[in-house]
Amino acid sequence: MALSTATKAATDALSVNRAPTTVGPQEVHKWMQSFNWDFKNNRTKYPTKYHMANDTKEQFKIIAKEYARMESVKDERQFGTLLDGMTRLNAGNRVHPRWGETMKVASNFLEVGEYNAIAAAAMLWDSASSAEQKNGYLAQVLDEIRHTHQCGFVNYYFAKHYHDPAGHNDARRSRAIGPLWKGMKRVFADGFISGDAVECSINLQLVGEACFTNPLIVAITEWAAANGDEVTPTVFLSIETDELRHMANGYQTVVSIANDPAAQKYMNSDLNNAFWTQQKYFTPVLGMLFEYGSKFKVEPWVKTWNRWVYEDWGGIWIGRLGKYGVQSPASLRDAKQDAYWAHHDLALLAYAMWPTGFFRLSLPDAEDMAWFEANYPGWYDHYGKIYEEWKALGCEDPASGFIPLQWMIDKGHDIYIDRVSQVPFCPSLAKCSGSLRVHELNGQKHSFSDEWGERMWLTEPERYECQSVFEQYAGRELSDVIVEGHGVRADGKTLIAQPHVRGDKLWTVDDLKRANCKFADPLDKF
Amino acid sequence: MANYKVHDNPIRDEWVAKLGKVTSVKAATQFIQDFRKAHTTPLRTEHTLDLDYLWIESKIEEKLAVLRGDAFVDEDLLNLCTTGEAAGMVVKHWAQKMEKATDKYSAEKILIQFRQLYKPPVMPVNYFFTADTQMGSRLMELRNTNYYATSLPDLRKERGVKVLHLGVSKAAH
Repeated sequence: MALSTATKAATDALSVNRAPTTVGPQEVHKWMQSFNWDFKNNRTKYPTKYHMANDTKEQFKIIAKEYARMESVKDERQFGTLLDGMTRLNAGNRVHPRWGETMKVASNFLEVGEYNAIAAAAMLWDSASSAEQKNGYLAQVLDEIRHTHQCGFVNYYFAKHYHDPAGHNDARRSRAIGPLWKGMKRVFADGFISGDAVECSINLQLVGEACFTNPLIVAITEWAAANGDEVTPTVFLSIETDELRHMANGYQTVVSIANDPAAQKYMNSDLNNAFWTQQKYFTPVLGMLFEYGSKFKVEPWVKTWNRWVYEDWGGIWIGRLGKYGVQSPASLRDAKQDAYWAHHDLALLAYAMWPTGFFRLSLPDAEDMAWFEANYPGWYDHYGKIYEEWKALGCEDPASGFIPLQWMIDKGHDIYIDRVSQVPFCPSLAKCSGSLRVHELNGQKHSFSDEWGERMWLTEPERYECQSVFEQYAGRELSDVIVEGHGVRADGKTLIAQPHVRGDKLWTVDDLKRANCKFADPLDKF
Repeated sequence: MANYKVHDNPIRDEWVAKLGKVTSVKAATQFIQDFRKAHTTPLRTEHTLDLDYLWIESKIEEKLAVLRGDAFVDEDLLNLCTTGEAAGMVVKHWAQKMEKATDKYSAEKILIQFRQLYKPPVMPVNYFFTADTQMGSRLMELRNTNYYATSLPDLRKERGVKVLHLGVSKAAH
């Protein structure tokens, strides 16, 4: 019987390179390197400005068998704890309701990020030409598959054990109506898998993983534990144990292009764009989830951000890459300003548009307000008074028929969506670093909220064509859009989103209809 | 203002009806090329279908792919564009055009026009993706060289943007 080409190749390789009889990881690793790819004809199918070197090393030198053994132990610990210990302790129901809602956003969105990271790491595997580097990326592909399952399992676990599963069990159904989804797709999907393969690595590994997984996956566990959630730390810390390998992959991506003349021309602008892309969404969203989506506060978001983003990443981590010509992003200064106010701006808009979510939000109570004012002096006069006015107008009570979005429209506080980041922005109320700019190109109007994003759009307009919810639904009544976009619970009338976390006084489609709130595109005014 | 539902709406119905009258590879090719030029990419000439163009385009692609599958023999499926041109020759022609481009704006126009005319199923994917990667890499090089050298006001002028509003930035830079 004729041997297949693959079997013959394997047989020939084994006859030249005998499998070692005494097995140590390094020996096996060295032996495996003899199975190589034909790089001469292995031009990547993804576009890139860079050339990745053929001899780049991979720090972990991990092999499949070791990897599988290590990950299976971690999985056994995690799933064993969740399915036995945590279940006996009724952990899913000990979570403060505010935090239970926050996890609807965090676990669903991170799942999307992990899913796209599978493709991103695979793209890098295809783009690299060093066997070791390919090996590192391949391990990351497997990691990301694991993480996608883990995030899905958090939703499954909460859907099964938490008292209000709506949003944990069907978040994706409502993705067409929730403004936060689009920005998340910009950072977690477009940023990771579109465009230059190396730029994607910078987005995913150098910024997403080395910078923002610290607050997103580590800091969140502190907030979770403080708010009674033992489920999230069990899963997310298990995820984070893999992130170190991914940060190392990002480091090695930079090493692999360090001697390429193209790196000096493109790398720092790519890094600046990647950082601004990621921070523009994560800085406000994480701050909002932590501070407004919790009852018990850990520390002000601005402190967490300064420690992990500004000092640890912008200073130490990027500093270590300085010998390869990497510089701290110029946009870091503006991001620092956003770390103070942007999450307060976004929280206000998120609450104003609460019916479009797949989670429940709640007004800051007196204790929250005191904490905000103590940590962000000036907060009460700017934001606190608005929340008090909304409360007095009955925003929590379905009988009132009052939606804060209508208040924003009536008061002339137009909400724009930044074309590049898809993050909502209200110029008349915002305290973050940006400013409104509106341009017309080829008959279409575009709004932007900062200079960095505007430059990205001016450079690559075909990349940023995503429509805002206001463009999509202009003229339509809010409850009509919510019903069509699956924002309703299984009873067919109660909304998934609610403006409070109480057990009673749940808003229905009819309550929303009474408010008679209509979408309007503020760009029509120009 | 599009005051109708996202999925089942009169605009989509209208285009499905138009597409129903297309019955040949030649007609479907012309149909999709005209549609892409009029309704897709930043070079589009109309914005009337901004909410539905992706869905409509996917339906035209489906139709052309089916017609092409019925009409072409296996070898042609791999090597022939539905315009009747040899895919290899088309790719060579556009690659040469891109090589001659010296600035990012002309290179961008070349790549977008190539996509409007030849994005699959007009061109077989085995040719299209290789060409798109090579041309895309070149465009990236041109776009990203001296990225911050041009000021924003000058960049707006170069792009042909009409500035409708410029707020005062609170940014630190």
